[in-house]
Amino acid sequence: MKFIVPALVLIVLAARLWRRHRGAARTPRAKSDRLRGDVALVMAREVRERFRGRVFKVTTLFVLIVVAAAIIIPVLRGGKTKVQTIGIVGSSTPSLQATVRSSAATVGLTVRLVPEPSVNAAKVELGSGRIYAAIVYTRAVLMESSLSPTDVSSSAQFVRSLAENLGIAKAFQAAKLSTAQYETITHARALPITSVEPGAGKSGGRSPTQATSVIGTVLIFVMLSQYNTWILMGVMEEKSSRVIEVLLSAVRPIQLLTGKVLGIGVVALAQASLIVAFALALSKAVGSSLLHGSAPLVVVSTLVWLVLGYAFYCWVYAAAGSMIERQDQVQSLVLPLSLPMIFGYIMALTGASSGSPSMLLKVLAFLPPTAPFTMPVLVGFGVVTWWAFLISAAISVLCTVGVARLAATVYRRAILRTGSRVRLREVFH
Amino acid sequence: MTGIRSPGILGFVAPVLQIDDLCRRFGERIALDHLSFEVSAGQVVGFLGPNGAGKTTTMRAIFDLTDLDSGTITWSGTAVGQAQRRRFGYMPEERGLYPSMLVGEQLQYLGKLHGLSARDASNAMNTWLERLGLADRVNSKVESLSHGNQQRVQLAAALLHGPELLILDEPLAGLDPAGIDVIGEVLAEQARAGCCVLFSSHQLDQVEDLCESVVIIDHGHLVVAGKVDDLATSGPRRLVVRIEGQRSASWLDGVAGVEISEVRGGDARLVLDPTVDSNAILELARSTGRVTKFVFERRRLSELFREAVA
Repeated sequence: MKFIVPALVLIVLAARLWRRHRGAARTPRAKSDRLRGDVALVMAREVRERFRGRVFKVTTLFVLIVVAAAIIIPVLRGGKTKVQTIGIVGSSTPSLQATVRSSAATVGLTVRLVPEPSVNAAKVELGSGRIYAAIVYTRAVLMESSLSPTDVSSSAQFVRSLAENLGIAKAFQAAKLSTAQYETITHARALPITSVEPGAGKSGGRSPTQATSVIGTVLIFVMLSQYNTWILMGVMEEKSSRVIEVLLSAVRPIQLLTGKVLGIGVVALAQASLIVAFALALSKAVGSSLLHGSAPLVVVSTLVWLVLGYAFYCWVYAAAGSMIERQDQVQSLVLPLSLPMIFGYIMALTGASSGSPSMLLKVLAFLPPTAPFTMPVLVGFGVVTWWAFLISAAISVLCTVGVARLAATVYRRAILRTGSRVRLREVFH
Repeated sequence: MTGIRSPGILGFVAPVLQIDDLCRRFGERIALDHLSFEVSAGQVVGFLGPNGAGKTTTMRAIFDLTDLDSGTITWSGTAVGQAQRRRFGYMPEERGLYPSMLVGEQLQYLGKLHGLSARDASNAMNTWLERLGLADRVNSKVESLSHGNQQRVQLAAALLHGPELLILDEPLAGLDPAGIDVIGEVLAEQARAGCCVLFSSHQLDQVEDLCESVVIIDHGHLVVAGKVDDLATSGPRRLVVRIEGQRSASWLDGVAGVEISEVRGGDARLVLDPTVDSNAILELARSTGRVTKFVFERRRLSELFREAVA
């Protein structure tokens, strides 16, 4: 007990000393806290006003509907897979059934197998149309009428594939391969390609991963266009309404600009996260293949490039907004500014559709204005190593720092110049 | 430097806004030409000058809204920076508020930007909207208000944080007489509370009623500064004489040192040289006829202004 009182006194003294020390160090910190507080205030206003705005609600709803359609429609179409009935004359071994089903699956068909007692019975069934084709003792495939070389229907492709696979199986048997050897050969898989997105689809056809990257690129374009327009119009509104003078009488231009950019950035990230979460949940619910396999990596890369793309472009559009104050001046400025975005977007979509990434696409993936669109597509192709991805991101961040400094200078010098549109050479004069 | 200072009381020195040797050139046009003056807290000061004299440029310079080629601006001896400006209130010439933002939210936001806590900003917003007769418009969008009411909201935005220095650029423009009265009362109150109020206006009669002091500039440099009373009574004496039946001032023909500035409605307005004895003029008037008016007159601010910028 006798130690309690001195201990309490010591604690109180230590607390007072600590508080005094804090108080002495507070002055410079208070200033920086104040600066951060101003940025936070501006940011909070932007977030509140944007969330409240009708444009945000309508755009979010529209994008959610488009994403839902992109996920659900392929599933619905996939759900209506055509069923073909195939007759089997002779023994129906498990390996034969597996060969038939895998041949059907490659063209998106489902098969129903029915035993046929004889070739004649199979011919009757073919004539009546109850079966589409018959496999006769694993030696031949019988059809009602011969296949036209120009017939590219899924049923025709299935029969061709089935005939080829049965021929290969017959060849394996003729080679007297053991069951184990046969299994080894038939279960052969392509070697994995080491990349950011391992195991991506083969070139020449669009895999679900590539489809995801295309959807991601479209989203990045739509969302960046929207957020950039918000920044431009927001800055222009402050200038044209002259509220800028009232604001700048209390805060510095860089605080106002940073708060606005961060505020709209938070809204952008929230909207993008909502859309991605919605897409993931919906895909899981309906069993879509869009987000299967390595597609989640593409989703993450899309989000990363949405942030990097926003960070790069927002400063440019803010600087542009500070140079104008009327609606009719917007168009003349927006078109040249959006050209790099449109170029990157078109190149990304063209590259994704071509089935293989071109050298130009790979170069554009390292240029900050076009990388937000082209890099996710390269990730979709599975041809980007993790270090190449990081290098591109680092280039983008470095350029963003430079662009932000330049934009802040333009903003500070142009935002208070009213009247006609401010020219860049006037700003740097 | 020409200054308008309030006398210190018991050693208390009122804060002083000091404008020192400001120069600003826009291309070939000189906006500020070595402009210097100072005003101290506790008074309403009219900032006058013809169009293009440099008033708005000076006010914008106080808030760092325009670059200066040279010169300094200090508040109580300290160069005006971000920390000082946060304690100032500003009403720009071109009114500026977010058109689609609610009145109450907008005022609270601006109050917080000036360093008020959320609670203080809310209290100040309610107080000022009540004081300016806008309590029922707290949830209205600014764009839905009339011009006069928008002006009141703008004034509230400048006053919300209890500024030490209040700079108002043409606060009376476009207001009806009731609006002018309200703003006049508010400015006088602020000055009594120790605030330094500097405002520009072209409505000289109102300025004369509202201001204790004026600063008149022209072509970017100071012309006159001082207390209105001192300026109005300075210079040559002004005498108004009315004699029954006399419609002209011919009775003064040949009198040396007397200038007839105006004869209207029987009133002869005279400007007397310092050497002229006013009793001699009275005697001369009485010998001419029955004197019904014999009054020394103050100079109106409008006359002072015209003389200053002539």
